[in-house]
Amino acid sequence: MTNILDDYALMSPLRYRNNWLKLTIVAFGLLAGVSAYSPIPPFFIALCMSFATVFLGKTPFRFYLKLLLAPLGFAAVGVLIIAFFSGTGAELYSFRLASYPLTVRADGLELAMLVLARSISGMCCLYFLALTTPMIELFSVLKKSGLPGSVVELSMLIYRYIFVFLDMAVQIKFAQTVRLGYGNFKKSFRSFGMLGSTLFIRSWDQGEKLFVSMNSRCYDGKMTMFETRRPVKLPELLLTSAYFLSTLTLFYLTRGVSII
Amino acid sequence: MTILETRGLTYSYPDGNVALKDINIKIDKGKKIAFVGQNGSGKSTLFMLLNGTMKPGEGEVLFHDVPFKYNSKSLREIRKSVGIVFQNSDDQLFAPTVYQDVAFGPANLDYPKEKLETCVNRALEQVGLTNFKDRPPHHLSGGQKKRVAIAGVMAMEPEVLILDEPLSNLDPVGADEIMDLLNEFNHYGSTIIISTHDVDLAYRWSDYVYLMSDSELIGEGAPEVLFRQTELLKLAGLRSPSSLEVYHELERRGLAKGYLSPKTLPELVNALRPPELMWVDAPHGVKEDDTLNLGILYGEYSPNSPYEAINARVLHIHPDGKAIVELKRRSIKAGGILLYDTDSYSYPEILNIIEEGDVTFVGAMGKKSKILAEEDGIFLDVTSGVIDRSILTALCGKRCLILTGGGMVEHAFKRIREYVELSGIELNVGTFNTGEELPWLEVLEESAEGFRV
Repeated sequence: MTNILDDYALMSPLRYRNNWLKLTIVAFGLLAGVSAYSPIPPFFIALCMSFATVFLGKTPFRFYLKLLLAPLGFAAVGVLIIAFFSGTGAELYSFRLASYPLTVRADGLELAMLVLARSISGMCCLYFLALTTPMIELFSVLKKSGLPGSVVELSMLIYRYIFVFLDMAVQIKFAQTVRLGYGNFKKSFRSFGMLGSTLFIRSWDQGEKLFVSMNSRCYDGKMTMFETRRPVKLPELLLTSAYFLSTLTLFYLTRGVSII
Repeated sequence: MTILETRGLTYSYPDGNVALKDINIKIDKGKKIAFVGQNGSGKSTLFMLLNGTMKPGEGEVLFHDVPFKYNSKSLREIRKSVGIVFQNSDDQLFAPTVYQDVAFGPANLDYPKEKLETCVNRALEQVGLTNFKDRPPHHLSGGQKKRVAIAGVMAMEPEVLILDEPLSNLDPVGADEIMDLLNEFNHYGSTIIISTHDVDLAYRWSDYVYLMSDSELIGEGAPEVLFRQTELLKLAGLRSPSSLEVYHELERRGLAKGYLSPKTLPELVNALRPPELMWVDAPHGVKEDDTLNLGILYGEYSPNSPYEAINARVLHIHPDGKAIVELKRRSIKAGGILLYDTDSYSYPEILNIIEEGDVTFVGAMGKKSKILAEEDGIFLDVTSGVIDRSILTALCGKRCLILTGGGMVEHAFKRIREYVELSGIELNVGTFNTGEELPWLEVLEESAEGFRV
C-alpha cells in the first residue's frame, strides 16, 4: 500500500537510522544551499541528497522524478522571468516579441541559475527527510525538542485517526458516487456537504469510543513515548562528514566564481 | 472457583432505555464462556460493566468475591485483571505504531522498563506479529489489527480476557487464527469470555454458555444441554448449531447413535453407526449362510477406508441375483499421530521424520510453530482445527505429524487421549523432542514405540 509519501518513508531502509543525524544532514543542506553565492554547491547538495534518497533510501527513481517535477515547474517559470527581466551586464541573447525586446543578460542568467539551484537543493533536502523519515519516527524528536507533551500526544492520536477517517471518507464518497451523488455540480455540493457533516459526527463519536478504550487499559492522563535507541554508526558518521566537508570546500572554492 | 460474579445487575442508558435487566452470572476461573444473543441484546453493555468502564444502576459486580468499588485505585486493579477487546479494532488501536499500542497498557501500569519490554515482546510473539512492531496500524489487515488489539490487552497479563464479537469482519483463516490464539491463552490459564451470535462457534468452543435476549438472561448451561432446547433458541432469535442439526437428522434416520451431542467432526464421525447390512451382487452358486469376501472397499464406497478386508455373511438371496449380506469388518492398523515439540527444533530432523516415518499429513498448532514451518518451507496440510483433522486422518490409517510448542504438546496429547478413551478406537500416539516425559505416556508406551523414528 503506497499512496502517500509517508508510506514510502515507512518502507525505506533509511527509516531505521538515527533521526537526529538525518535532521542534521537536512538542516545543513538547507542552510548551505540557501547561503551559497554560486549555483555549484546547491547543485552538488541536490545531487548528493537525491543519491541518498534513491540509492540508500530505495525510493523508486521514477516516483522520485515525478515528485521533483511538480515544484520544478514552478521554479522554471520564476527562473525564466528572472533571466529575462533582471540584470544589467553584457547581452547574451535577445529577440523581439511583437516589437517588444526580450534580452537575457549575463548577471541576470547568473541570478536565475542561483535561484534554480537553491530551490532544487532545498527541495531535494526536504524530500530526503520526507521519504526516509515517517511521521511515527518524528514524534519522539518532537517531544525531545521541547514541545509540550500534550501537543505531541494529540498529534500521535491525530496521525493515527487521519487514516481511519480517510478510509471512512473514501467509503462514504464511494457510497455517494454509486448512488449518483456527484452527478452534476449542484449535487456534488450537496453530497460533499453531507460527507463533511457525517465525518464530523463520526469523529466526535470516535473520540468517545477512544476515551472508553483508553480507560479500559488504565489510561491515567499520559501516554508514554518509546524512543528506540539508534546510535549513529561509524560508516554513517564517516559518510556524513565526507559530505559535509566536500560541500564546505566547494562552498569556499566557488565564492565569487561566476559560471557564465 | 468463581472469578467474576454479578448480582442483580441492572443498567439503563441516560435516555431511559433499559440495557440490562437483573443479570446474575457466575464465571469460573479458567473456563471458556460465550454470551450468545442477537445484536442489541445487551452483551456489549454487560461487558463494559464487567470491566468497570460503566457503573451499574442497580446490583453489583464482584471480582474474586469482592464487589467493585468504583474509585480510581480499585478500578485500575480491575482493568488490569479484566482486559477487554472491543468489536472494532480501530476503536482500540490509537497509537502510531504497533509496539507503542501494545505498550500502552503496561506503561500505564508503571512497569519498569525491562519488565515492560519483556511483556510487550512476549505479547507480540504470542500473536505472531513481532516483525510488525514498527508498522503503523493502517498498514495491517483486519485479522492483524485484531491480533494487535488482543496483544495490547494480553500485555497487561489479565486473568480474564473479554472479547466483544471477536470474529466479526474476519475471513475464515483470520477467524481460525484468533480462535487458536484464544485456546492457547485459555490453556495457559486465562479465563476467556466472548460474545457472539454465531451459535456454531459458541457450541463448538465454549465450556459454558449464557443466552441473552432483549436485555435479559434467558438461559444458561453447558452447550450440549443448552443448545438442545430449541424453544429457548427460538425465543432468543437463534437457530440450532449446524453440527447438532446434522446429527439429529442422522439420528432420526437411524444412521447415528442416539442421545449424543457431538461438537467436533471426530465426535460426529464417532456417533455414526456403520451400515451392517448391504445389498451386493451375489456370485453364482453362493448359498445363504455362506461367507463372501468382498476385499477392500474401494472407490465410491469408501475412498479412505480404514478397513482392510470385509467378510460378509450372506443372509438372504433375492430371486433377481442380489443378496443381502451382513458385514464383518477387520480393521487394518489405525494410523498414528506424532507430536513434535518445536521448543527445540531442527529442520533436518523433521524432514527425516516425515520421510522415514511415512508421514502424509502435517499440521502446526500455535503461532510460533506456524511461523517456524513457514520460514523453512514445510508444507502444512492443516493449520486450524489441527487436532480434530489429525484424528480424522489417523482414523483413515494415515500418519500425522503435529508441530507445536510449549504446553500445547500436553494439551494436544490430552485431547487425543480423551478421544481414544471415548471412542475405544486405538490410535498410535507418540511425542518427539519433549524434554520431560509426559505423565501418561507410559500408558500408551507400547503403541507409541512403533511410531518413533
